[in-house]
Amino acid sequence: MTWTPLDEQEFLLENDDRRNNQENDQENDQENERDIVIAVDRVSKKFCRDLKTSLFYGVQDIATELGGGRRKSDRLRKGEFWALKAVSFTLRRGEALGLIGANGAGKSTLLRILSGLIKPDTGSVMVDGRLAPLIALGAGFNPILTGRENIYANMSILGLSTQAIKRRFDDVVDFAELWEAIDAPVQSYSSGMAARLGFACAIHVEPEILLIDEVLAVGDIKFKMKCHQRLKKLRENGTAFILVSHSAHNVMNVCPSSVYLAKGELVAAGRTEAVIRQYETDLCLAGSDEATGVLTLPEKPPHESLGIDIRSICFKDLQGNILPELYTGEPACLSVECHSYVEVEAANLGVMIKSLSGEQDLVLYLTAAADSEPLSLRPGSAEIQLQLPHCGLVPGIYSAKIYLREGVYSFDMVPSFRFKVQSDRTVSRCLFYQPRQWRVVQSTRRMGQSLKAGAFADDSPTP
Amino acid sequence: MPRVYYTPDSSLRRPGQLLRQMGRDLLASRELAWRLMVRDISAQYRQSALGLFWAFVPPIAMAVGFTFASQSNIIQPGVTDIPYPAYVMFSTSLWQTFVEAINGPIQAVTIAKPMLARVNFPREAIILAKVGEVIFNFGIKLFLIVALFLVYRISVSWTVILAPVALFHLILLGTLVGTLLSPFGALYQDVAKGMSMVTGFWLLLTPVVFPVPKEGVFGVLVRLNPVTPLLVTTRELATTGVLTQAPAFWIVSGLTIVGLLLTWIAFRMAMPYVIERISA
Repeated sequence: MTWTPLDEQEFLLENDDRRNNQENDQENDQENERDIVIAVDRVSKKFCRDLKTSLFYGVQDIATELGGGRRKSDRLRKGEFWALKAVSFTLRRGEALGLIGANGAGKSTLLRILSGLIKPDTGSVMVDGRLAPLIALGAGFNPILTGRENIYANMSILGLSTQAIKRRFDDVVDFAELWEAIDAPVQSYSSGMAARLGFACAIHVEPEILLIDEVLAVGDIKFKMKCHQRLKKLRENGTAFILVSHSAHNVMNVCPSSVYLAKGELVAAGRTEAVIRQYETDLCLAGSDEATGVLTLPEKPPHESLGIDIRSICFKDLQGNILPELYTGEPACLSVECHSYVEVEAANLGVMIKSLSGEQDLVLYLTAAADSEPLSLRPGSAEIQLQLPHCGLVPGIYSAKIYLREGVYSFDMVPSFRFKVQSDRTVSRCLFYQPRQWRVVQSTRRMGQSLKAGAFADDSPTP
Repeated sequence: MPRVYYTPDSSLRRPGQLLRQMGRDLLASRELAWRLMVRDISAQYRQSALGLFWAFVPPIAMAVGFTFASQSNIIQPGVTDIPYPAYVMFSTSLWQTFVEAINGPIQAVTIAKPMLARVNFPREAIILAKVGEVIFNFGIKLFLIVALFLVYRISVSWTVILAPVALFHLILLGTLVGTLLSPFGALYQDVAKGMSMVTGFWLLLTPVVFPVPKEGVFGVLVRLNPVTPLLVTTRELATTGVLTQAPAFWIVSGLTIVGLLLTWIAFRMAMPYVIERISA
C-alpha cells in the first residue's frame, strides 16, 4: 500500500531552506540524496504470536538462509501477521522525526529493523552513519561490577574504542551526576541512578542517528530537563533523531514532523500537529463502541440496597437532552439518577475521571463534599446534577468512577462509566480546555498626547 | 562509517561482501571482546567466596576417585605413560577446558539475549570473549598442573612448548561445537540441557581416565572420537614427546579450522532470526 502524506512538501523539505529554489532542481535532488541518513523503502515484517510455532519458523528461516534459498518472506505462514506492512519514509541529517502509534503498532519493530537487529521481510533499509539506539539503556550492565567498569563495558558494546571511552569518561559521570557512587557496584544503585548512567553512556556515544524509545521518562524532573537540553544540543550539531512515544506531548516538544503507525501500516506522515490530531481522532473512534451515552443499572432488590441506589448515569445538554458524547468547551451536565430509601442530609457524590486514551491518569476528581455542597435527598427518586459550564476535557475516551456516600458510609458505587469527548476546535498541545475570551482594549488617548508630559494632558489633574 | 543496507535476501548471495563484513567485524570486535571478557571474569570471581578453588577441585576429585577405584581393582585402566593420578588430573583439566569451550558460546548467547535484542554490535565479540575466558581458566589450572608435575617428578620433553598449539586446537573444536549450537540454544532450552548429558557420555569415549584402548568396538569408537587425537597429542607433547596420533591430529585440526569458518558464517546468518524470535 502507499500512503498519502498530509503535507508532503513540508515533510520532505523540513530543515531544507532550498525549498523555493526551482532553478537548481537537479542539484537539489543530489544534495537531498546526500543528506538522507535513513531511507526506509516498503519495509514489512511478520511475526507469529504462538511461541512454539514462532521458534519453529525461526529454525526454518535459519535453514533456508543457510541454504542460500529464498524465504518467500512476502507471504504469511500459518499463524503469522504483519507487524509492519510496506512502511516507507526518509530521515535527513539533523532532522527529528516522531514515531507515533498505539501499543503494538509496530514502532519498536521498526526501530529494531533500523538498528539492524532483525532483517526486514520485504523492502530495504539504508542507514548512513553511526546509529545509537537509546532503546538499550544500560545494555550489558552487570550488577556486580562498579559503575566505572560498567561504563567501559556498556560504551564498548555501543561501539566505542577504549581510547574514545577514556576521553568521554568524565563527561559521562558528570552528566549522570554519579561521582560519589562510581566505584560502587551497580546493584547498589537506585533504579533512577542506573537509568541515568545508562542514558549518559548512550548519549555520549555521539552518533549521527539516535533512536529514542520512550526513555525520556528517566530520572527526576531536573535530569529530564538536562536530557532534553542535551538532545537539543545534539540536534543542533546535526544528529538526526527518531523519537518513539505514545505521549503526544513528548513528540510535539522535540519533533517538527512525525509519522503515525497503526497496526503496522503507515497511516499518516507530515507536520506533527496534524499527525497527532489524526492519531487522537483515531484513538477516540477505536473505543467508541463501548461508550454508549447512558449507563442504566439494574434495579437492586430493597434488601441489597445500602440506602440509596444509583439507577442511571448520563450527560445532558442545557435543554435536558441526553448527550451521547461531550464536546470540548461546550456546556454539559452530569446527571445521576438515584433512588433513596432513607432521608439523607449531606450526601456526597464523587466523580473520578480517568483518561483511557492517554496514560490512564486521573484527570478530574470532583466531589460535592470538597465543594461544600451537601446534597440532601428524601426517600424516592431524585436526579443529582453536576453542571459544567464548559467541558474542560480534551478529546478522548474517559472512564468515570462515581460513588455516593455520606461521610465514610458508602451507599452505592459505579466503577466505570465510559464516555467520549469530541472536539470541533484545536486543542492539541493542551492538557485541558481553558474557557477564554479575547479582546483588544484600545487606549482612548492619542499617541502624541500620551508621550507628552502629564501636565499637558486633558485628563490629568491640574497642579 | 559506510552506508549499510538491510534487505531480506540471504547474505550468501553476495559472498564477497559477506567475507569483507566478517573481517571488519572481527577487527571491530577485538576491543569489545576484551572488555566483555574482563567484565565476565571479574564478575565471576567477585561473586565467589572460594574463587580459584573451583578451578582445582574437579580434576582433584576425579583423580582421587579413580585412583581409589583402580587401587581396589574395581576398574583396571591399564598402563599409563605417567603415574595414574597425575594422568587423570591432567587429562581431566584438558577435558574440562574442552567442555568449557563448548558451553561457553551457548551460555554466552543465552545470557546476552537482552543485550543482543537491543544493540547491534559485532556478535563475534561474545564468542571471542568466551574463548578468552576458557584460556584464562586454563591458565589457572596450569598452576595445578605444574604442581602435579613437580610432585610426581614427571619428566618433560622439549615438545612442551608446542603443547599450547595442540591445546588451542582442542579449544577451537569445542568452540566450533558450541558456536554451532548457540543460536539454537538461545531458542530452545533443550540444547543446554542436552549438552550436559552429551558431554557426560562423550567423556566415556575419550581417553581421560583410561589410556587409548587398542582393540574392540570401544577402541574403534574412541579412535573415531575427534577429541581423542587432540587431547592425546596435547598430553603427549607436554609429557613424553612421543606422538602416537600425529596424522589423526592434523586431519582433525584441519577439519576444525575449516569447520570453524563455516560455523562462523552460519552463526552470523542465524543470529538475526534468533533475535527476532527471542524478543518477539
